[in-house]
Amino acid sequence: MGMVLSFLRKYRAASITALLMMLVELSVELMQPYLISKIIDNGIRVKDLSVVWLWGGVLLGSSVIAFIAGISSSFFASHASQSFAFDLRDKLYDKVQSFTYSVFSRFESSSLITRLTGDVTQLQDMIFMSLRFATRVPLVVFGSILMALIVDVKLGLLLVLTIPFLIVFVVWMMKIATSNFGRVQRRLDKVNEVIQENLTGIRLIRVFVRVGHEIERFAKFSLALMKETVRSLRLMESTVPYILLLVNCAIIAVLWFGRIDIAAGDATVGQVVAVANYSLRIIGALSALSWILMNYSRAIASAGRIQEVMNTEDHAEDPLPDSVNAAGKSSELVEPIRGQVEFRNVGFRYPGSDITVLDGINFKVEAGQRVAILGATGSGKSSLIQLIPRLHEPTQGEIHIDGVDTRDISHSRLRASIGYVPQEVMLFTGSIRDNIAWGQENASYRQIETAARQAQIHETIDQLPEGYDTKLGQRGVNLSGGQKQRLSIARALVRQPSILILDDSTSALDVATEAALLEELRDLSCTTFLITQKISSTRSADLILLLDEGRLAASGKHEDLMQTSLLYRQIFESQYGEGSQHVQSLN
Amino acid sequence: MFKALTEPFQHPFPEIELRKGGGGRKPKAKAKNVSGTVGRIWTYLARRKAKLILVLFMVVLSSGLALLGPYMIGKAVDDYLQSSRAHFGLFLAGLGLVYVLYSVTSWLQNIWMIEISQETVYRMRMDLFTHLHQLPIPFFGKRQQGEIMSRLTNDMENVSSTLNSSAIQIFSSILTLVGTLGVMLYLSPLLTLLTFLVVPLMILGMRWITRRTGPLYKQRQNNLGELNGYIEETLSGQRIIKAFSQEPRVIRGFKERNEAIRRSGFWAQTISGFIPKLMNSLNNLSFAIVAGVGGILAIRGAVTIGIIIVFVEYARQFTRPLNDLANQWNTLLSAIAGAERVFEVMDEEVEVKDEEVEVKDEGASVKLDHVEGAVSFSHVAFSYEENGDTLSDISFEAKPGEMIALVGPTGAGKTTLIQLLSRFYDPSDGLITVDGRDITTIQRQSLRSHMAFVLQDSFLFQGTIRENIRFGRLDATDEEVEEASKLANAHAFIMRLGGGYDRVLETGGNGISQGQKQLLAIARAILASPSILVLDEATSSIDTITEIKIQEGLQRLMQGRTSFVIAHRLNTIRQADKILVLKDGRLIEQGPHEKLLAAGGFYSKLYHGQLRNEEM
Repeated sequence: MGMVLSFLRKYRAASITALLMMLVELSVELMQPYLISKIIDNGIRVKDLSVVWLWGGVLLGSSVIAFIAGISSSFFASHASQSFAFDLRDKLYDKVQSFTYSVFSRFESSSLITRLTGDVTQLQDMIFMSLRFATRVPLVVFGSILMALIVDVKLGLLLVLTIPFLIVFVVWMMKIATSNFGRVQRRLDKVNEVIQENLTGIRLIRVFVRVGHEIERFAKFSLALMKETVRSLRLMESTVPYILLLVNCAIIAVLWFGRIDIAAGDATVGQVVAVANYSLRIIGALSALSWILMNYSRAIASAGRIQEVMNTEDHAEDPLPDSVNAAGKSSELVEPIRGQVEFRNVGFRYPGSDITVLDGINFKVEAGQRVAILGATGSGKSSLIQLIPRLHEPTQGEIHIDGVDTRDISHSRLRASIGYVPQEVMLFTGSIRDNIAWGQENASYRQIETAARQAQIHETIDQLPEGYDTKLGQRGVNLSGGQKQRLSIARALVRQPSILILDDSTSALDVATEAALLEELRDLSCTTFLITQKISSTRSADLILLLDEGRLAASGKHEDLMQTSLLYRQIFESQYGEGSQHVQSLN
Repeated sequence: MFKALTEPFQHPFPEIELRKGGGGRKPKAKAKNVSGTVGRIWTYLARRKAKLILVLFMVVLSSGLALLGPYMIGKAVDDYLQSSRAHFGLFLAGLGLVYVLYSVTSWLQNIWMIEISQETVYRMRMDLFTHLHQLPIPFFGKRQQGEIMSRLTNDMENVSSTLNSSAIQIFSSILTLVGTLGVMLYLSPLLTLLTFLVVPLMILGMRWITRRTGPLYKQRQNNLGELNGYIEETLSGQRIIKAFSQEPRVIRGFKERNEAIRRSGFWAQTISGFIPKLMNSLNNLSFAIVAGVGGILAIRGAVTIGIIIVFVEYARQFTRPLNDLANQWNTLLSAIAGAERVFEVMDEEVEVKDEEVEVKDEGASVKLDHVEGAVSFSHVAFSYEENGDTLSDISFEAKPGEMIALVGPTGAGKTTLIQLLSRFYDPSDGLITVDGRDITTIQRQSLRSHMAFVLQDSFLFQGTIRENIRFGRLDATDEEVEEASKLANAHAFIMRLGGGYDRVLETGGNGISQGQKQLLAIARAILASPSILVLDEATSSIDTITEIKIQEGLQRLMQGRTSFVIAHRLNTIRQADKILVLKDGRLIEQGPHEKLLAAGGFYSKLYHGQLRNEEM
């Protein structure tokens, strides 16, 4: 909580002003019963009209002051809380973006979304409420008691008696409520997770007619959420009536002893009335208590969840480049990466996993060469190429690029020279042009078009009614799988990378298109890593890596492997035996 | 310091709102919207009528008791403090009883209301979720996932927290208002009139405020939805962002959206924050009026001191419920905006509901118990958009058990054809039949339950591998699950993973490769044991050796089932009983491999061109 609240420090002035404004308002209100007692004792009882006029005028004037203070406090409190939320969200998102991919993968994206939106909003509301309303409650309670003591010490002390009870009660409630709402939040997360899954897998759920099953699952979690919410809210709501009863008892006592004092001449009617009036004000303030406490305990839970992200230690990634001057200004060599890649005895396993994904990988490629990586599903191909842009770090061995250990090259410099096309196509909302230019923000139209031509997608785009300005829905719904693949290849090419990584990115392309694409890539003279299933695309490679269960089963050129590797020959046979060809199109 | 004090007043007012506020928009239209939304929430609440009536009863009681308290204090001042009447103890005991009863009744009403409101939220959530599953697939294509997500979560939560806290307050406010008014009139009509002098001011102020806050809150909620969508997208594309070092850029994009929220949020909060302050001030004003004028009247002997005290407290009580409400106005407004967005989704037209068809045309919407698997398309046409055909004039027949291969260039309409068969879309022209029956007369659910799919993008849920496979048929035994995995050649790799079948997969199946996901998807389809099988480039990311093994399994599976296969590999295609060659959305050739080859058309060009390519 403390760490999160430190974000408010920047808006200290606004916060304090808001609180001061509230204090002005409050003191006006607290004066009222006192002034009433003056009107009763000095005005009505002695029939002095001028006193009534005087104090009535003071009451009127003070309420105007209170109004002005109240309105301006709205601005200050709102400014402080909204700016606080803005900063917090901003820093939180920066933090998330600064994670290495491995650390990022530890969080579920649905939970990160809730933290960035719901949790921040919760805190923001809490601060706004505190600055204008919630802090009122203790102030009204203590202020009223103080005023009561001023009016009549003896009767005021009756109110003081209630204080220890109040404090103990509130603290106890805070404690229980916080843990309760933590539980509610976890159940809510579960519900949200199911929703997220259902949205992502909606097609599959439909085709498998599992709607009923999913609804049942959702009902189960929603029901659990409902029960937990009811349970914790009930506890909350049960406490306030008791607190009210407590203060009400104090009023009865005030009246009882007040009457005795009046009879003895120790107190006036006005004084007793004032003290009773202060008690009523305490009650008024306390009635909002449960609502406030609920918000506080939720905010504490939210703060905890935000802090969890903020406190996640992550040393591997270098600090985010200043948006002003992204790459290049680092002290290291400014000369561009040429693209010579060497793996030295590289081993890898995912953090927290017991499975060895890669083991003892050794190879070397010169700049501009083409490497084809071949292997069965799960043999570690994708993991291997993800080590090159340092999405993950090898757990063993070293990777050198242009003779330099990749760990000594900054992420930004390294990645600036890599074009990566992942296996699963991920396009962003926006136009086709935006999506290609995504790889190189200040790419010219000509560059975009060139990249599209190289990726064999230009003609397709050109035929669309809006051409490059065609909007893509989420994940590019209106394009076919192959078209999406080519688009994400164009996105990588527009960067003019010195290392190009294609993670099985041509699987949905027909052979003719693929061949044209590979031909085009040959002219680009970048080091190309090509994960593929097709012998047709390995034949032109300078180096073929054949992976089997995380180990390098064989490596070399096509002709070498045909002679040395049985596995490679088998794959070749299966693809070039009678009738094993791919059939697609000519264009 | 000076800057810190002026800054809060320098936030630019959101542009859209200015237009709305100044454009002479009729406030009635907006109010109708709000009341419509509230009305719909009410229909949910009304389902627990009996309990709601009990709650109402308790609210009536507690409001009455809340009125009685101050009245008795006033009485105490007039009758006991200023004179020495007997039985003061008894009187105070009565007051004590009133207080106890007050606590008990308000406790009960709260506890019961929580139950009702949470049940309401639960029902709304379920309705929304169920409705979502009835929406046509294009709905999801058109919207950002995070945006829909936001409606289901943020907006729903908003409704939930507001129902808990505000629902009762609305009832009791109204009651207390009426009650207070009654008693005040009874005690002194003149003072009542004076107290109510502030009401016109209040109404004016409130109107000024709500006219602005309504659209502002909606705007804020929209901005929040947008931000949500952005976060969702950038988080799921995180790998790409990292690999392309585009962090500064997405951070910039985030800042823009974040700024938009700050802007609309600031004004929504500030202006709605005027409400409690306005109430308070008017409260103070009426306090001053009652005290001043009351004092003058008391000196003239027109009222007693007790009455002034009661009035002062009542004036407070009369505004307090409104004050409480006003304090929660923020939440209330954003909850109504939230509910509106929730209902917006619920009002989306559903994929023609099967039941409705049944009612409309008896016997037309059939549930199929058994499907042989005869499929025919006659002159089928379809387009996603109004203009331009994606498919046109498709006619072919598939006998039960036949294997149909779909061949053609990327984007020729192969996937669309399959989507028509499974009724994700209905054809704009022509007729599709299964076992001779027009499929538009068959319930979607029933139709799909006889089909199994292995799609291009396989999707895995969070859960164990076993659960993910069992998704194909929920009542399958562990043995059947394992059997299916063996047929799909997934068994071996599953056993190699730590935990085997009980290994928990992350959402989307992170941690296992794409090919492995496909194997699980195939196992899932095998387990479903369908009459019609669709393989949509299912084996495109599986390596050749594994594929050969899978082919065996698929072969066994395809035995006796009609299957539609979109694939690249000739050896798959050659086995097909019928090959459909698609080009630019038209079916240009159909027939078995040899016949098509002999005909020397597009297919044979493909085939030979293919070989030429391979030889290069």
